[in-house]
Amino acid sequence: MAVTPKNRWVDYGIFGLSLFLVFCLIFDSYIELPALVAWLGKWHPLLLHFPIVLLLIAIFLGLTGRSIPRNLLIVAVVSTLLTAISGFFLGKEGGTKGELLQWHQWLGGALALIAVFWYGLYTWQLGQKAYTKVLQVVLLVLVGFTGHYGGMVTHGEDFLALPRPKRPEKLPENPLIYEDVVGMILDNNCVSCHNTNKQKGGLLMTNLGSLLKGGDVGNTVVPGDAENSELIKRLHLPKEDKEHMPPDGKKPLNDNEVRILEKWIALGASDTLRLNDLGEQEPLVALIEGLMQPDPMEKWAKLPEVADSTLQNLSSDYVTINRVASGSRALSVSAFNPPEYDPAMITDLQRIATNIVELDISGLPIGSEEMAFVAQCVNLEWLEVDQTPITDAQVANFKTLTNLELLKIYETQISDQSIDIFKSLTKLKRLYLWQTGITEAAITNLQRDRPSLLIDSGIDESAKIFFAATDSISQTEKE
Amino acid sequence: MEEEQKNTDENPLKVNRRHFFSQLSVGIGSLALGSLLIPDLFKTGAETVATQPLGIPHFAPKAKRVIYLFQAGAPSQFETFDHKPTLRKRMGEDLPDSVRNGQRLTGMTSEQESFPLMPPAVGFKQYGQAGSWISDFFPHIGKIADDICIIRSMHTEAINHDPAITFFQTGSQQSGRPSMGSWMSYGLGSENKNLPSFVVLTSRGKGNSQGLYSKLWSSGFLDSKHQGVLLRSGKDPVLYLNDPDGLSRSDKRHLLDHVSSLNKLHHVETGDDEIESRIAQYEMAYRMQMSVPDVMDISKEPQSIIDLYGEDCQVPGTYAANALQARRLAENGVRFIQLYHQGWDQHGNLHNEMMGQAKDVDQASAALVMDLKQRGMLEDTLVIWGGEFGRSNYCQGKFDPTNYGRDHHPRAFSIWMAGGGIKPGMNYGQTDEFGYNIVENPVHINDFHATLMHTLGLDHEQMIYKHQGRRFRLTDVAGNVIKDLLA
Repeated sequence: MAVTPKNRWVDYGIFGLSLFLVFCLIFDSYIELPALVAWLGKWHPLLLHFPIVLLLIAIFLGLTGRSIPRNLLIVAVVSTLLTAISGFFLGKEGGTKGELLQWHQWLGGALALIAVFWYGLYTWQLGQKAYTKVLQVVLLVLVGFTGHYGGMVTHGEDFLALPRPKRPEKLPENPLIYEDVVGMILDNNCVSCHNTNKQKGGLLMTNLGSLLKGGDVGNTVVPGDAENSELIKRLHLPKEDKEHMPPDGKKPLNDNEVRILEKWIALGASDTLRLNDLGEQEPLVALIEGLMQPDPMEKWAKLPEVADSTLQNLSSDYVTINRVASGSRALSVSAFNPPEYDPAMITDLQRIATNIVELDISGLPIGSEEMAFVAQCVNLEWLEVDQTPITDAQVANFKTLTNLELLKIYETQISDQSIDIFKSLTKLKRLYLWQTGITEAAITNLQRDRPSLLIDSGIDESAKIFFAATDSISQTEKE
Repeated sequence: MEEEQKNTDENPLKVNRRHFFSQLSVGIGSLALGSLLIPDLFKTGAETVATQPLGIPHFAPKAKRVIYLFQAGAPSQFETFDHKPTLRKRMGEDLPDSVRNGQRLTGMTSEQESFPLMPPAVGFKQYGQAGSWISDFFPHIGKIADDICIIRSMHTEAINHDPAITFFQTGSQQSGRPSMGSWMSYGLGSENKNLPSFVVLTSRGKGNSQGLYSKLWSSGFLDSKHQGVLLRSGKDPVLYLNDPDGLSRSDKRHLLDHVSSLNKLHHVETGDDEIESRIAQYEMAYRMQMSVPDVMDISKEPQSIIDLYGEDCQVPGTYAANALQARRLAENGVRFIQLYHQGWDQHGNLHNEMMGQAKDVDQASAALVMDLKQRGMLEDTLVIWGGEFGRSNYCQGKFDPTNYGRDHHPRAFSIWMAGGGIKPGMNYGQTDEFGYNIVENPVHINDFHATLMHTLGLDHEQMIYKHQGRRFRLTDVAGNVIKDLLA
């Protein structure tokens, strides 16, 4: 059959795209994409649905012996090529390609080129031969695998796995080190590849027995010897190393998690050890307690956004506003005593009141207006109002500060009336309270009510006497 | 690929820093006009709002400031915190070669025929819940044993004072790099705009001293506004800060405004960033005329505080006075307060000299920690006490148990830290029975720097400054955060 000029252009187009794809695949490592071209890669997740559906329809028609409309095949093949090329662009985005991405890329490339070959056979009227059917079956398989690898690249290797029983998000009060802590880390990071269904490297990590037994390599966990435990060695390898665990494309363990595993092994990899069995000096205690506390950055993520320009406008020579950390919405504010104090310098901060988590207004001659403002900073966790003329009535406002963890209120005139407010601040952990009008009985009472609250009532008398008694006239040379 | 990523990370940072300064200078320079004008007027279309200004930590920090009590000259670990009874038992015996293991020596002892082991010149006691060994020269520090973390496994490569102290202060044995105080000022910015963010106080004991040079608090290739400001004892804490007689403050303001506008013209012509620093420094100095006398004035400190630090703290220029000053500066938002106490170089007459040196610093150092603690400042202030290296376990010169000295020793020495997210009441690292080599948990100076930066919320691998085509870090290409030290 004579080929019409119109068809020829389509052929040229398909041929050209195929050549380009082959070029991309071969010269992969030399190619650096201009920004605009790289952007085209973003279309890959959208485009990829077309070839899957269209190819499947075409293959279905072919395999069931029906005639395949030429236009359908053209659109299917062209969209396959475009998907493959845009996918290639997208793959350049992330730096070094992982094993999954490599498979996805080459399967996708093969799929596109075989689809082109099929189109060629079709054009040459060879569409109904037996080997075309074989080709169609191959394409069918390729569509499946390419799609699956793509899914693994974006959603993780185990995206199709059956849901595992979920662990409670919070650690229990006195956790078993193995069951609750180590087990959680392994479940979150390792078990997806080392479980009863999928036992990579012959290693099963779902229970202590099989951990100690190890995998093909052996010595996975050597109780008491973290350094020689294969598990720890692998975690410490450079990320580029093939042996590094978790493998490429999976989230590596964070330092904290690695160190917990290390310490647990160093302590003998026991499954009966509990947190409270450990001495306070043991570093593992701090590591686990770190796990039990919510990440502050996460906690502050819910605060309203605040622009840098706002902070700049509100800052002055005597008011410093800093973000607690880069990019954080939580603010730390320190005010210093200017030559001429104006309450507005504090009350102007109203706009950012909910963002302030740390506030230092110690030593300022603050009045009730400023204290009313402080009461509005409901997210405050750290407040310094020491050496101020603060009154009991003003402290009464602090009942809104339910997030307060640390309060410095030494060298003030407050009296026993304020004790009830301190009692009501349930999150309060540390209280600096000396040289105030508060009686010792009230402090004892507060301590009894809140045993875990750390009350600093100044330097211990005996230490004061010891220090005052020593002759300190030293021999410093006077210049 | 990664290389490019780093470049782009660095460039926006640089743009932002410039932007930050220009905003700062514009804002301050027109202080008088400021209240009358709309703030946005200064923002020309070309300027975009800084999205990530420098001067904020990478992650939420534990410590916001550092007080570094540097014991210049290198106090001996054997008379401070590293208790080695073996040295007493084997006094006079030659240091076994298997222990020395080829360690290089200074020119002062390399010609010696024997290396007789010397006992600690003073007794030791155990203090605190962890039973920390502390020498009898430091009874006051014994009282704060539960608040400090003693590291007995510090080590360095330098064996002479200048390279060693330069290494500690700048992360390099060769001078020219920015001081760690300057790095912190650069990384964290200032907390109080009326005081420099890096302040230096020096004092000198009667012991054998080595020189202290201002290069130790130099900002190196960083902007000169991060340079350490030396506060002197006496009438003028900061030289040339006060106005000449007859110049009123408003005249001074006018003068500064005019100079600033001229400087700004010059900046437009040349684009030199140092001009902006200069403008900022003039403004800072103007405010420091008010703030420095305020901070330095200890007349309002109650007697209980004077008793705590010791009578000496009323004598300007003493270590005790500087320690008290350090607390006042910390309260006023100075980021990095560097004290140096000279006189710890005991090549001879060790017992008497160390007793004097210890007397200078023991009470005041402990008082500072206690004072910070009662003010809740130990929560976010890191205190460090230590010298630039250790001292030899053998005698320098002829063996004489009544009067001896110790030579330099870089392989192991002791320091302590307190507060600022460092675990209190802990002993970290161990040396062998001769106190010569580290047998457990070594801490290199780079590790020390990395850990210190970590407590301040800075990632030592991320805080980079590009200079002369090369990227610089305080820890250069080494250093690990010692997580065991973190609370």
